[in-house]
Amino acid sequence: MSLTKSIRYNFMKDIGAPAVMGFAKAGKKKRRRKPNPNFGPPLKCANRLKEIMTRHYFLSRYAEGARPVAWVTSGAPVELLRPFDFYTIYPENHGALCGAQRLGPELCSVAEEHGYNQDLCSYARIDIGHFLSGKTPVGKLPRPDILFASNNICQTVAYWYKVLAHQLKIPFLLFDTPYNFEEITENDITYMVSQLEEMIPILEEVSGKRFNNQRFEQIMLLARDSSFTWGEVLATMKTEPAPMTIFDAFIHLAPIVSLRGLPVALDYYQTLLDELRERIDRGIGAIKNERKRLMWDNIAIWYKVRDFSNLFAEHGMNFVTATYTNAWAETISNMDTDKPLESMARTYSLVVLNNNLNHRLGLMERLIKEYKVDGLVIHSAKSCKPYSVGQYDLKRLLMDRLGVPSVVIDADITDFRAYSEEQTRTRLEAFFEGMED
Amino acid sequence: MTRREYLSKQKEMGRNLIGVFPAYYPKEILWAFNAVPAEIWDPPLEIAGANAHLQPYICSVAKLGLELILQGKGDILDGLLFPHTCDSIQNLASIVYDYLGLNKPCYFFYHPKAPYRNSSRTYYLEQLRSFVSRLEKDMGPLDGGELKHRVEQGHHLAAILREIYDLRSQGDFSASNAEFYRVIRQGEYLHPDDFIPLLEGFLGRSKGGDGKGSAVILSGILANPPEILGLLDDLGVRVANDDLLNCGRRLLMEPGRMEDPFEALTANYFAMPPCTTKDSPLDERVNDLLKKIEKSSTKGVIFYMVKFCEPELFDVPQMVAAVKTAGVATLIIDVDLNQGLSGQLTTRVEAFVEMIS
Ligand code: SF4
Repeated sequence: MSLTKSIRYNFMKDIGAPAVMGFAKAGKKKRRRKPNPNFGPPLKCANRLKEIMTRHYFLSRYAEGARPVAWVTSGAPVELLRPFDFYTIYPENHGALCGAQRLGPELCSVAEEHGYNQDLCSYARIDIGHFLSGKTPVGKLPRPDILFASNNICQTVAYWYKVLAHQLKIPFLLFDTPYNFEEITENDITYMVSQLEEMIPILEEVSGKRFNNQRFEQIMLLARDSSFTWGEVLATMKTEPAPMTIFDAFIHLAPIVSLRGLPVALDYYQTLLDELRERIDRGIGAIKNERKRLMWDNIAIWYKVRDFSNLFAEHGMNFVTATYTNAWAETISNMDTDKPLESMARTYSLVVLNNNLNHRLGLMERLIKEYKVDGLVIHSAKSCKPYSVGQYDLKRLLMDRLGVPSVVIDADITDFRAYSEEQTRTRLEAFFEGMED
Repeated sequence: MTRREYLSKQKEMGRNLIGVFPAYYPKEILWAFNAVPAEIWDPPLEIAGANAHLQPYICSVAKLGLELILQGKGDILDGLLFPHTCDSIQNLASIVYDYLGLNKPCYFFYHPKAPYRNSSRTYYLEQLRSFVSRLEKDMGPLDGGELKHRVEQGHHLAAILREIYDLRSQGDFSASNAEFYRVIRQGEYLHPDDFIPLLEGFLGRSKGGDGKGSAVILSGILANPPEILGLLDDLGVRVANDDLLNCGRRLLMEPGRMEDPFEALTANYFAMPPCTTKDSPLDERVNDLLKKIEKSSTKGVIFYMVKFCEPELFDVPQMVAAVKTAGVATLIIDVDLNQGLSGQLTTRVEAFVEMIS
């Protein structure tokens, strides 16, 4: 690591970033958005979230050379990296951000021009497009020293990170989590624990730091508490009317994905939880007239979050739960500092996408009951095969078993070339009508 | 004898038939249980019912496999085996096992993904043992001597296949492309007691002869539509080697010579050529392909993609770049299985052949 870069990074952390944030805040006060009559008052925490994420990306510009940098997948056990002081970048979160700003096709096209097929996951295409062109709405992403992925969410991340590793000539660590076709075995656990053990010397070498077990355990606890609190945040939506919508949760999940294991994530969710509880006490709903409660399946359609939020609110329908947002809370109770690596193996391999479809069905049934869900919107995401394959059967089974009506929207997470407004509107109109029967 | 007739006969002989989805599995263990693995890659069916379960962006290997089950064409099978190959086959396995209510056992086989470390080997070895325990529940105890015999038979088979591939790569094997892959692919369902003599006969018949001329290598999942092979024959081009998941990547390894059959099978798995579905690093894949090119003096590589196949499609740009840097021409084809050759595809292949001739 370079001393000059470290000084510059620390200066930006302590002085530059707060100054920039303050400046942005001052500028922000001048703008006022007309309130939408279908919604309750906006979440106050939203500004704090923006500050946190802006600071994260702003500081990342100075991290290269000052701190070891890792690019990490959303489901990887990042707790193992934190004791080595890695600055972590989540290309999936960056992809979502690009998607929300409608930059998906532009960045994907760069990858496509270099031979990456349009049918590949668009988070990967955005990332490769960014890597090849340097284009990003966040200014600049630091070049990684190591790539860290887990195939607990998909095999795609391994194919994608392999491409980066080849280009950058840097180490790639894969946490290979055997898929739970039936149930996880002792052999699987031993394998995962051994992998984590094998990674430590590599991380030591890349970061130049020794592994500190005590620090690791503190980080595990922080990560566990953040995930628990995130789970409680989501659970507030069991209240009728729900104090937030799943569209809010899509945005507010950024810290649990990108800053897990850091104090800022826990602080943030405690503040958010306090605000939501206060809203519950005061009977404030996220939407004014919550007549129907819905569940969302799959990752968000990032370029449609605002439109869908308005459209469903107009119909008095609120999304109160999602399999997606739940993923960062679902398995955290396995985390245990008495058996750190083993418990990490369980926490990370039991997530919804690494589990068989029967597990998914059971989870959805439970969420439907607990959150008093009236209907289901299924996003069939062209990017994401592990999330999407099986949805047709899930739709049928949930109708048969619980009588829950649903609609499938064919789209993509960020690439709106795979989305048809007309087809979606037609399907949604039929769904809205059906929900009123 | 058709594949179906052959499998029926095997069943009459008292052998269990296990339908196996792509791609990697320890076939010697199934042989030792007196079972015949019948691999399911590209059954000649029209896709209909599978579309009610799988989205339009899922590959035709997954769809045809499901179609086979839905149309009852797999009724003859005593069980199904799903290796963990990719996200689509993983979820397909779950649809079949969790939702279709099939009245036959489903087996799963997870193999470790690269980059390999010590833990990968230990895990693979244990996975073999658990696979045996699972099969014993349905098929009775495994005879250790029989496993040893089948592992040795597997080694013999691998040696013949290597010899055939070597001769072919040097231009000393006279079979046409269509004939070559027709014979090699029979290994997807023939019992080794039948496949080995078939291959020996093939080797004896085709050794030497005039196999020179322009040569290409095929990279991808499988050579389907098979008409591509006939077209290359017509154009006087030899497929000198392949980097196909259902052929070269699984068949061309130097087998492990350990005493213990489980150790030997483990060595085999890690000795196989690099593969997208095992997450092999790109460097390894590039080097493997370049070596094949050099060995067979090939002037062109055809990347023969199955539409929507993520593992393959991610590696293609860098493989193409490396091959081009080596001065070898490339052609990328993206097809659905069993769709025959379109006029456009034929023209593209002809133009490519003209370029390398
Ligand atoms: S969208 Fe799906 S395929 Fe793409 S990285 Fe996320 S989980 Fe993997």
